[in-house]
Amino acid sequence: MAAHTSQSVAKAAGDDVEHGDVARGLSRRTGSGNRTGGNRTGGRGGLRRALATHWYAWAMVTPVVLVLGVIIGWPLVRGVYLSLTDANERNVSRTIGVRHIEATYEFVGLDNYAAVLSDPVFLQRLAWTVVWTVACVSITFTLGLALANMLNRDFKGRAAYRMALILPWAVPGFVSVFAWRFLFNRDNGILNKILDGGGISAVPWLDDPTWAKFAVITVNVWLGVPFMMVALLGGLQSIPGELYEAAEMDGASAWQRFRHITLPGLRAVSMTVILLSTIWTFNMFPVIFLLTRGGPGDSTEILVTQAFREAFITSPRDFAASATWGVLILALLMIFALVYRRSLRKQGEVW
Amino acid sequence: MTTRTRGRRAPLASVGLHATLLVASVVAVFPVLWILLTSLKPAQHAITTDFVKEPTLGNYTYLLESSHFLSWFANSVLVAGVTTVLGVFIAATTGYAVSRFKFPGMKPLMWTLLITQMFPMAILIVPLYNLMGDLGLLNQPVGLIITYLTIAVPFCAWMMKGFFDTIPIEIDESGRVDGLNPFGTFWRLILPLAKPGLAVTGFYAFITAWGEVAYASAFMVGEENLTLAGGLQTFVTQYTSNWGAMSAASVLIAIPAAIFFVFAQRHLVAGMTAGATKG
Amino acid sequence: MRRGIAATALVAALALAATACGGDASDGKDAAGDNAGGELSGTVTWWDTSNDAEKASFQKIAEAFTAKHPKVTVKYVNVPYGDAQNKVKNAFSSGSDAPDVIRADVGWVADFASLQYLDEVPAETVKKVDAEFLPAAAASGKYEGKTYAVPQVIDTLGLFYNKKMLADAGVQPPTTLEEVKTAAAAIKAKTGKAGLYLRGDDSYWFLPLIYGEGGDLVDAKNKTVTVDNAAGVKAFKAARDLVSSGAALTNATDGWTNMQTAFKSGEAAMMINGPWAVADTYAGDQFKDKANLGVAPVPAGSVKAGSPQGGHDLAVYAGSKNTAAAHAFVAYMTSQEVQVQSAKELSLLPTRTAAYEQPDVKGSEMVQFFKPAVDKAVERAWIPENGSLFEPLKVEYTKAITGASTPEEAAKTAGAEFRKILKGWK
Repeated sequence: MAAHTSQSVAKAAGDDVEHGDVARGLSRRTGSGNRTGGNRTGGRGGLRRALATHWYAWAMVTPVVLVLGVIIGWPLVRGVYLSLTDANERNVSRTIGVRHIEATYEFVGLDNYAAVLSDPVFLQRLAWTVVWTVACVSITFTLGLALANMLNRDFKGRAAYRMALILPWAVPGFVSVFAWRFLFNRDNGILNKILDGGGISAVPWLDDPTWAKFAVITVNVWLGVPFMMVALLGGLQSIPGELYEAAEMDGASAWQRFRHITLPGLRAVSMTVILLSTIWTFNMFPVIFLLTRGGPGDSTEILVTQAFREAFITSPRDFAASATWGVLILALLMIFALVYRRSLRKQGEVW
Repeated sequence: MTTRTRGRRAPLASVGLHATLLVASVVAVFPVLWILLTSLKPAQHAITTDFVKEPTLGNYTYLLESSHFLSWFANSVLVAGVTTVLGVFIAATTGYAVSRFKFPGMKPLMWTLLITQMFPMAILIVPLYNLMGDLGLLNQPVGLIITYLTIAVPFCAWMMKGFFDTIPIEIDESGRVDGLNPFGTFWRLILPLAKPGLAVTGFYAFITAWGEVAYASAFMVGEENLTLAGGLQTFVTQYTSNWGAMSAASVLIAIPAAIFFVFAQRHLVAGMTAGATKG
Repeated sequence: MRRGIAATALVAALALAATACGGDASDGKDAAGDNAGGELSGTVTWWDTSNDAEKASFQKIAEAFTAKHPKVTVKYVNVPYGDAQNKVKNAFSSGSDAPDVIRADVGWVADFASLQYLDEVPAETVKKVDAEFLPAAAASGKYEGKTYAVPQVIDTLGLFYNKKMLADAGVQPPTTLEEVKTAAAAIKAKTGKAGLYLRGDDSYWFLPLIYGEGGDLVDAKNKTVTVDNAAGVKAFKAARDLVSSGAALTNATDGWTNMQTAFKSGEAAMMINGPWAVADTYAGDQFKDKANLGVAPVPAGSVKAGSPQGGHDLAVYAGSKNTAAAHAFVAYMTSQEVQVQSAKELSLLPTRTAAYEQPDVKGSEMVQFFKPAVDKAVERAWIPENGSLFEPLKVEYTKAITGASTPEEAAKTAGAEFRKILKGWK
């Protein structure tokens, strides 16, 4: 009985959210509708009419379109092209003082893709990258949600906790990663010292492949929780308190309230932060690079650090292979985003 | 800020709540605190687990007098600052346009803005590296600024659209009634209202550029041209370990950032829920 | 302070003595015209890769060049050794803000030369390099028969030991890996500390092990990869054995930090390291009395004792706008006086034969130890890919020494990676 009621309440909340979106959509349409009305000049060709109607908008987006085209579009095209060549540091063009050496690399078709995809290293890196992403995002989300729920209550000291918990977000990531590397040091780090005090022998945090994986995930979670917590806290606070009161009056338990009011109420926020967090984690370069440099051995190397390694650490620098890895990473992310969006659509989210 | 009073909690639950939050807070604060303590130890003893015995500011004087810390700091401020200003400036009108108008090309533009945010640096780094090399901009702040704009512009445009969405459409209408064209409306009416949003967007753009590691490591060379992210790496390498200077530098970077964050957090949170989550 | 006076004295001495050196160094190339009237001018930017303990001294010496050539300004830039090969490539390939002179690891010269980044050393200087420098050092600056770099310092690895700790345990400095194990056991029993620290995160430390088994990374003459032959496998085994038997400590991350910390604080009684670590080691608590530091040849494997010949060369960027002054600067930095100075202050080994006759060099205990070791050091193949081999080797070495993969796997994978780099090699 209680469950039934709270479900209907949750549905109402969901409706409310959708309603808000519809309203915003409407207002936008109103805006553009008015614009069209105000500027109707009865031009002849479709293009001219479109130009007359939309030139404001187009003019406004021009700076971004230009910038994106020049500094993202062109390099992107070139990156894709490089991945189809055998470019490396020995055959790209370079300028040495007054002397200019022309590029001599050649088009090799899909050879690089064949080479990368047939190499077991790719699957190893992909598998670990997926494990890393899923582990980081799910743990971060769970902890963020738990902390947000705790902070979404009224009690003494809330502001202080909140300030402390937000600190990892406030400190620049590269600083924190160095701090963690210092703590993790097997022989001279404080973590092992503390464990030693508890009778536990030294843990090879960054010296053992499995522990190193654990360590990089820990650091990334530590870095990511505050963002998650703050975003979800914002979401929690936008859920109307009346819903909880109604549910409580119907005798819903704390878990039922969480399950049927909180979670549905957080849907929109959660979907966005999970998507963002997934993309960020998938592409998270600094944590791996500064903490383990992909090591020990190559056990914590993810796809992006591998691409960086190909172009800037190994020698001769293999620009083509790096570009190939880059294109593959982008393709994977786009597939992920499309699938994610489709599944959201199925559930009726407007995104 | 809605706060509910949901009956009284049992004392036990309250203890549990505080215990959990306390543990979480300690975990959150400890690494930073430990670095702060380490920075006060004499440099030779930086790599010990003892607590501070003879506190000294030696690491700080070394950092400020014998290292290039101040140049790195200045480089970081320059690069992140210019990136932010340009990013916000370039992206503002676009954020407004996609928030208010429906025009041919809008959907693809929105998609492009979204997708470019998921670009791994891996795809752009080599072409950008070659491009900067050809233009002679490697190892120059300008090169890094241009590179960072590839991150900042789509991000700012996307985020500002969120802010403009929260400004009531009636304001645009009143502008039109007064005879303003869309540019005038944007400039005179909307932009002043969006100032907090611009500030928050700018802040995110700034910290993103401030904390960037990959491009900065690959593009900048020579001690005095580095940004902080690159400079700090030089303290601990395959053949050096200067954890004392590293910890002092970390503290000097972290403290202003943390103070600012604590003061600004209310706005940042509001901004993020308006911008990032209402995509 | 003492150092400051020494440097001043040095400048004065050089101003008188070394003008000849600077003069003929610029004979080779006068394109820039800045040698008109015999006077050099402009700015020379030098990228130095020396470590924290060394850099202040080198900066002083470098800037003293101005005393000799008042119109030349020396711009000293320190680029940490770990990233230097990359950073130099970045600067050289783009030409923007590139240095005029670099300090290159001996393993990098062929690589940079093959990419056409280096300016040939003027003929006059080449003659001197061939006549007056240690032949092994001179060889590192050559590529395809031409000389591209002048050797600045030469080095090799040795076994650093804590005299007191060894005496307390009643053992002599070990000469073989077997003796290392017995000595470590005795040290453990008597003092509770570790015997040896063996770096596991840098493949340079693998070289004495593979030489010790009679192997090498590659055989350049026969264009053959040899890291994965029987000797290679044995070397990986030896590394793992030292660690798993408890004789050696190692790390897969932060090896330098932990090695220096362990040795300086007496947590480990021995380490394998080079002359570049001497200055830093003397700063440790255990070596307040410098006499407590002893150095012996690296322990032998089952075949022989062998350590890699290393060192640093100075080279001039082909795109430099000021090659005449740059070459003069290189000649100055590799002059006998400067080499004697850095031997005295930093225990770095001169590359000039005659420098070893100087009292200051004879008086340096470290130099006296390292010189015979350098004479016997194994010369590496000076091929462009030399520097490229260390990154893939590091991955496998770390895996093998920490037990993440078997010695056989490590050798096999390293061999496969090497063949990817050395296209067409057996």
